[in-house]
Amino acid sequence: MKTYTTGSLALLTAGLLLLTACGRASDGAAEKPKDVDTSAKATGTLAVWAMGSEGEALASFVKKFEAANPGIKVTVTPVGWDVAHDKITASIAGRSTPDVSMIGSTWMGELAKTGAVDPTPGNLIDKAAFFPSAWDTVMVDGTAYGVPWYVETRVLYYRKDIAAKAGLTPPATWDETKSFVKGLKKAGAAQGMNLNYTTGSWQEILPLIWQQGGSITGPDGKWTFDTPETVKALAWQRSYFEEGLASNKVDPASFPASFFKGDVAAYFSGPWMIAGMEKDGGPGFAGKFDVAPYPKGSAGGTSFVGGSDLVVFKDSRNRDAAWKFVQWLSDPETQASWYTTVRDLPSVQAAWQRPELTADKRVAVFGEQLKDARTPPPVPTWDQIAKVIDQEVEKVALGKSTPEEAAKSIQAQADAVGTGL
Amino acid sequence: MRNAGRLRAAGLYAALAIGLVFVAGPFVWTLLGSFKSDAEIRQEPPTFLPLRWITGNYAALFERMDVVTVTLNSAVVAVIVVASNLLFCSMVAYALTKLPFAAGRAVFGLVLLQMMVPAIVLLIPQFVTVASLGLADTYAGIVLPGLVTPLGVFLMRQFMADIPDELVHAARVDGSGEFRIFFRIVLPLCKPVLATLGLITFMGSWNAFVWPAVVAQRKEMYTLPVALASLSGRETVHYGLLLAGVIVVITPVLLLFVFLQRYFVQGVATAGLK
Repeated sequence: MKTYTTGSLALLTAGLLLLTACGRASDGAAEKPKDVDTSAKATGTLAVWAMGSEGEALASFVKKFEAANPGIKVTVTPVGWDVAHDKITASIAGRSTPDVSMIGSTWMGELAKTGAVDPTPGNLIDKAAFFPSAWDTVMVDGTAYGVPWYVETRVLYYRKDIAAKAGLTPPATWDETKSFVKGLKKAGAAQGMNLNYTTGSWQEILPLIWQQGGSITGPDGKWTFDTPETVKALAWQRSYFEEGLASNKVDPASFPASFFKGDVAAYFSGPWMIAGMEKDGGPGFAGKFDVAPYPKGSAGGTSFVGGSDLVVFKDSRNRDAAWKFVQWLSDPETQASWYTTVRDLPSVQAAWQRPELTADKRVAVFGEQLKDARTPPPVPTWDQIAKVIDQEVEKVALGKSTPEEAAKSIQAQADAVGTGL
Repeated sequence: MRNAGRLRAAGLYAALAIGLVFVAGPFVWTLLGSFKSDAEIRQEPPTFLPLRWITGNYAALFERMDVVTVTLNSAVVAVIVVASNLLFCSMVAYALTKLPFAAGRAVFGLVLLQMMVPAIVLLIPQFVTVASLGLADTYAGIVLPGLVTPLGVFLMRQFMADIPDELVHAARVDGSGEFRIFFRIVLPLCKPVLATLGLITFMGSWNAFVWPAVVAQRKEMYTLPVALASLSGRETVHYGLLLAGVIVVITPVLLLFVFLQRYFVQGVATAGLK
């Protein structure tokens, strides 16, 4: 359901960079953040943009902040994910940005490079409070821009009832995963496992690369896709299709209905699926599935970490109030209460100790997984690179290309695009 | 003879009925889907009639979104855009076809050229313009780029070119001014194509998404499709809710089409003939 990147992205970015190239320092040495005056009482109105369910729920959630900070008024505008990226880039070009905005964590590199985003004031925000993997999403070229707001990471979902019938426990390693899926198949799951090989499949391939100790960027920051680890990751995913443990013939839209039916008995996905499964699976389905950490490869079980960040724009007329608002949203107590509101997983580690988070055992699996999770480098061109990976993964999955060819092709295309830094 | 005629008519109706199933099918499915639960929409095999009719999707839609305000916004924008296109596109077309005008061909060429520029390329330049005019977050900002459309000029020009010049000449000889000729003689002859243009621009404006979403800065300025899009999450979609929203969005367009159908068919048919 990753529909927020549009085909027009490259064009827009190019246009935007051209437009903002003049008048703003956007290259050269790392930017120095300005401190926020914490002694003065911040006042003013704040325009805040947020997407999806966050955009809907935030408007009433901020009442608590307004009550604690008389003099600050927060206006939340919900923005559709489909248009959010275009809207934010256009607002930067037109210099009509809000004070604070939520952004997809992979957009950070691109937006920070426009020079419109305010570096995070170190005297207000403590980076040690966040998951290091989440903090990585706001670091661009040595400077932090904004804070991670909530995180999501991918784990293994499986049908508990089918696994029990087959006498299986969730797999701990790559090899165990195959025998696990074989067992599920024997117990009635005709399609075995659901593997994503279309849009967004990069989120399943990158963990496989990392789990062998691979990396998609070298020490010099250049792309390193043509590696044995990438080839192995692609080959490993393909082997599921070849051995009939996953299907590349069914319509991808038949998932998750196929999981409810039991044709598919396992898949990798993020925390939002818990609520989705419980809601759409029908009565009693909540007890039929469970989650487990990513099975480990030769170098560990690193997962993908995504989510959303919060940024303050330099054009904000109430900068102090804006940062205070961001600080409030990243307070452990606020984060835990935000979890109960929209089920967003806290990016702040301390929030995970609170009862709201420890009540559901399945949520704790995500908390564990977050300790071993990585993000793609936050570079301006990431969305383009992701699209390249998606296309090549699909070709391999459909047998139109070999893992070796695909790794070479990703490398060549990624080199042509560059990192944009 | 009569039997053969009946047979032909029956065959024709059968073919039309099959066509209708294909055209109307998705609409009917949308309408029925808006009364199903999300679980049922995702169910496999899919159901056609709801197993259990629920109105919860509409209740949720009206609760989560200010349907009245956003519909009103959509209507205001659509009325301005349609009225402006009807007036100005036909004025341009009149100048291009009925006035001695040396640069006419060049101007028309530029208009055609405009049709080939994808709207997305213009998004940022247009927004920068609108924002620096101080029109971000206003109706004026939302309607400005759509007030005169190249397609409208093209459509009107093709139609007006077929109106005999003698009519205009005769009126000039009788001493009519150009505005009088335009409003009293040429425009009334353009009714079918005006209906077509009205419907096309109405649909364009009513369905417009990216531009109003970028210009509107507060949810009070959102149009229907923009408000609807803000309801879907990044990873999860509530199909029932969206289908209910789609019904709310398409109903006015369908009604308009029913009322203008006669003109619409006539307009498209004649605009295509040259």
